[in-house]
Amino acid sequence: MTDERRLAWAYLSTVAQGASRSLSALIDEHGVVEVAERIRAGTAKGEVAARLRSRAHLDTAATDLDRLARAGGRLVTPDDDEWPAWQFLSFDRLDTATDTEGAPLALWVWGGRRIDELAERAVGVVGTRAASGYGEHVTSEIVGDLAADGWTIMSGAAFGVDAAAHRAALGVGGTTVAVLACGVDRAYPAAHAQLLRRIAETGLVVSEYPPGTSPARYRFLSRNRLVAALSAGVVVVEAGWRSGARNTAAWARRLGRPVTAVPGPVTSAASQGCHRMIREGEARLVGTAREVVEECGPLLGSDDGRDGLFRRELDGLSEDMTLVYEALPGTDACDPAALAESAGLPIERVRAALPLLELDGFVVATDAGWRRA
Amino acid sequence: MALGRAWSVAVTGIDGQVVEIEADIGGGLPGVKMVGLPDTALQESRDRVRAAVANSGAKWPDSKVVLALSPATLPKVGSVYDAGLACAVLNAANIVPLDLLEKTILLGELALDGRLRPVRGVLPAVLAARRHGWCKVVVPTATLSEAALVEDVDVYGADTLADLVRWLQGDGPLERPDEHRAPPRPVRGDLSEVVGQHEARRALEVAAAGAHHLMLTGPPGVGKTMLAQRLPGILPELTEAHALEVTAIHSVAGSLSPDRPLVTEPPFVAPHHTATVSALIGGGTGMAKPGAVSRAHRGILFLDEVAEMPVKTLEALRTPLEDGEVRVARRDGVARYPARFQLILAANPCPCAPARDADCICAPAARRRYLGRLSGPLLDRVDLRVRMQAVSTNALMGDTGESTEEVRARVENARAAAAERWAAHGWSTNAEVPGPALRQKFRLAPAALRPLERALRKGAITARGADRALRVAWSICDLEGAASPSELHVATALEFRDRGTA
Repeated sequence: MTDERRLAWAYLSTVAQGASRSLSALIDEHGVVEVAERIRAGTAKGEVAARLRSRAHLDTAATDLDRLARAGGRLVTPDDDEWPAWQFLSFDRLDTATDTEGAPLALWVWGGRRIDELAERAVGVVGTRAASGYGEHVTSEIVGDLAADGWTIMSGAAFGVDAAAHRAALGVGGTTVAVLACGVDRAYPAAHAQLLRRIAETGLVVSEYPPGTSPARYRFLSRNRLVAALSAGVVVVEAGWRSGARNTAAWARRLGRPVTAVPGPVTSAASQGCHRMIREGEARLVGTAREVVEECGPLLGSDDGRDGLFRRELDGLSEDMTLVYEALPGTDACDPAALAESAGLPIERVRAALPLLELDGFVVATDAGWRRA
Repeated sequence: MALGRAWSVAVTGIDGQVVEIEADIGGGLPGVKMVGLPDTALQESRDRVRAAVANSGAKWPDSKVVLALSPATLPKVGSVYDAGLACAVLNAANIVPLDLLEKTILLGELALDGRLRPVRGVLPAVLAARRHGWCKVVVPTATLSEAALVEDVDVYGADTLADLVRWLQGDGPLERPDEHRAPPRPVRGDLSEVVGQHEARRALEVAAAGAHHLMLTGPPGVGKTMLAQRLPGILPELTEAHALEVTAIHSVAGSLSPDRPLVTEPPFVAPHHTATVSALIGGGTGMAKPGAVSRAHRGILFLDEVAEMPVKTLEALRTPLEDGEVRVARRDGVARYPARFQLILAANPCPCAPARDADCICAPAARRRYLGRLSGPLLDRVDLRVRMQAVSTNALMGDTGESTEEVRARVENARAAAAERWAAHGWSTNAEVPGPALRQKFRLAPAALRPLERALRKGAITARGADRALRVAWSICDLEGAASPSELHVATALEFRDRGTA
C-alpha cells in the first residue's frame, strides 16, 4: 500500500473520530485517496461531509503515523492483509444501525503481532470495574485455562474484571488484546500503564481512535462494540445491574456472537447483571473454561471423556503415556524399572509418564507399586 | 612491678572476643578477688589457679591479689581463662616477662597439679584471635590439632603450666602441630547395601543434588533410616570455609574427636523423636549451647518417626529453616548459631504401621490425624515427598544398586552446575531459589510447563506445590546435565508432590 493511501486512511480516521457507515460507503465508491482529498478541500457533498467539515482541518495524519511508528505501533487499514475483515463482516448484517454503528475505518495498534492472527481464536472477557474477590478469582481461573489453551483474551483494560483477565492471560504466557476507548499512546486508566506495556509486548493494544484522543463516554460504548466484534464469543464474569459489560454483551448478540455469563451469589450486587442476562435468556451460564469453549469454540464433542479440550497440549509425552499404560499388567502392581523393561522405554521417560497418568486417573500408586486404576 | 597482664578469648556462641586479664598484687590481707562478671566455674578458678601455681613450683604472692577481666561488662563463662589468670599473676610477680606474653593468647583450664586441660570452643577462640590480629596462641596439647586448623596463626600446645612458663621465659619449647594431614573420609554405610528401592534411591539422589528437604513415608523396615544415613555419603565434601564453620560449632558443642578435628563430611545428626525444643534448637543455663539444628549445619538433620514428635518441637524448626540460623536468648546473653541444614523427615504412614499397608487396623480418623500433625508451614519447605514401597522378595535376590561413589560423582556435577547458574543471584543450591525467581526470571519454556499447568488445573498441586516441583525439576535436569528442565523433567518432578495424608 502506498504512503498516500495510508495517509488518507489516517486522515479520515482522525477526522471521522470513529466509525461512519456513510463515510465507508463513500470510500467504497470513490476510493480512499479521493474521499480524503474532497473532505480536506471541503468539496465533498452530502450529510457526512457537512458533519466532518468542522474537523476537516485536523491534518495530523503524518505526524501521528510517525510518532506511533517510533513507539512500536502502526495503523491497520482495510487495505492490509491483517485487517480482520471476516470479523467485521457481521456489521454489514445488522438490521438496524445508526451511522456510527459500523466497522471501524481503520485500527491504530501498538504491539508486534498481526491482528487477524490474534482475532482468529479469541474470547472477550468483560465485567464490572468493581469486581469482588470472587469475580477476580473466577476470571483468572477461566482466563488462565483459555489462554493456556491458545485463546486470545480480548478485553478493555479497565479496572476490575478487565484487568484481571489481561493479567491472568499474561500470567500463563498467553496472548491478550486490549481495546481502548482512547488513543493507543494514552494509558487509560493511568494506573494500567505498566499493564498495557506488558500487553503490547506479547499481544496488541488496539483503538479506532488516533493517538492523542482522550477517552469519552460515547467512545467506551463504541469500544465495547469492537471487543465483541473481534471475539468469537463473550464471557461476562461480573456485571452490576447497570454495567458496561451488558453493553458489550448486547453488541455480541447483535453481531451474532454467543454470550455467556458466570453466576455469582444471588446476594451479590456485582452479579445482578449476569443473573439478569441468564434469567432473560440473553446469556448462557458458564463456570469453566471448558464450558466457554463449548459455547464459543468450533464444534467439538462435549462427551469425549477426559478433557478433550486440553488433550493436544502434551504432545511430547502422550505417546510415552500410552506405552506405559499398556505395559501395566491388568491387575498386578509394577515398579518403574519393570515397566521400563516391558514398555521398551528409558526409565526416565517412565518416571515422567507415571505422574501424568496418575493425574488423569489412569493409574494409582499403591504400597506395592503402580497399578491400573 | 605489681601489675601483670595476659590475654585470652571469651567465646559467645561461635563468636569470640579478646579478653584482657590483669592481676594486681597490692597491699592488704592475703586473698584473691576476681572482678569482671565471672560465672561459678570462673570463680572457682581462683582456687585452681592458686593450687596449680603452687604445685608448679612457683610461689603464690603473700598479699592481696586482684584479678580483673575486661571488657568488664562481658559475662565470662567457664575455665578457659585459667592459663591466662595464672600467667597474669606470675607476670605481676615478675616471674614471667611480658615480651612473649603480650603477643600471645592463652587458652586452657588448669588442674590442681598444674596440668593444662582441654576446653571446648578452642577453634572459634583461635579464629577470633586471628580476626583480632593476634598471631600466637597457646592451647592445651589435647586440642592442638583442632587449633592448628586455623591458618596464619602460630599455635603451641602446652602440657603443663610449668612448660608454658618456661616457654614464656624463653627457656623451653612447646609442642607444635604435626604437618596438616588430610584425614581419610570415614567409612559409612554404602548406598549399594540398600536393597531394591530404586525410586527412593533416585529421590535421595535428587535431594542431594538440589539440597532439597525430603520426607520419606513408608511401612517400618523398608529402609527409611538406612537410606537417610547414606545421604551424607553422596553429598559433596564441605568446602574449606564451610568445614571451619561446622568444626567451630562442634568445637563449642564439645563433640570433636581429637585425632580428626576438622569436620569435612557433611554432619549427620539424628535426634530422637522425644527430643525437647532446647535439645533441637539449642539451650542450657547461662549461655545457650548449640542444639541439633546447629550441629547439623551444612549437613543433615534426620528426624525419624517425625509424626511422633510433639507439635511444639516441630514448629520450632520453622525459624531455622527460614533464617538459616538460630538465636537463643539465655540469662547471659543471646547466642547465635548458624543452622543451615538439609532436613530429612521419616514417618510411618499410620500409628499401627503394618508391613503391608493393606493390613492397617487404624481408624480412618487416627490415620488422618497421624501425619496431619505435620504443619503446613513446615511441610511447605519439604520439596520432595517419597512414599517408600515394601520390598518384594525378588528385589532381595536382585543385583545390587549403584555405589555411593558413583552417585556422588553425579551429585557433585549437578551441584556445580546449579552453583554456577545461581551464583550471580547469591544462591548456591536449587532448594534456595525463591518461587518468584523460578516463575519469572528463570521461567521455563511453555512446553516444559505444560505438565505443571495440567496438574494445577486438576487441583493436584497448589501454587506452592508448583514452585516445589519447579525446584525439583531443576535438580533432575542438573543430574542429567541438561541446560534447562524439559517437559520430561517437570513431569518427573510431579511424582514427588504432596499427595495429602491419604
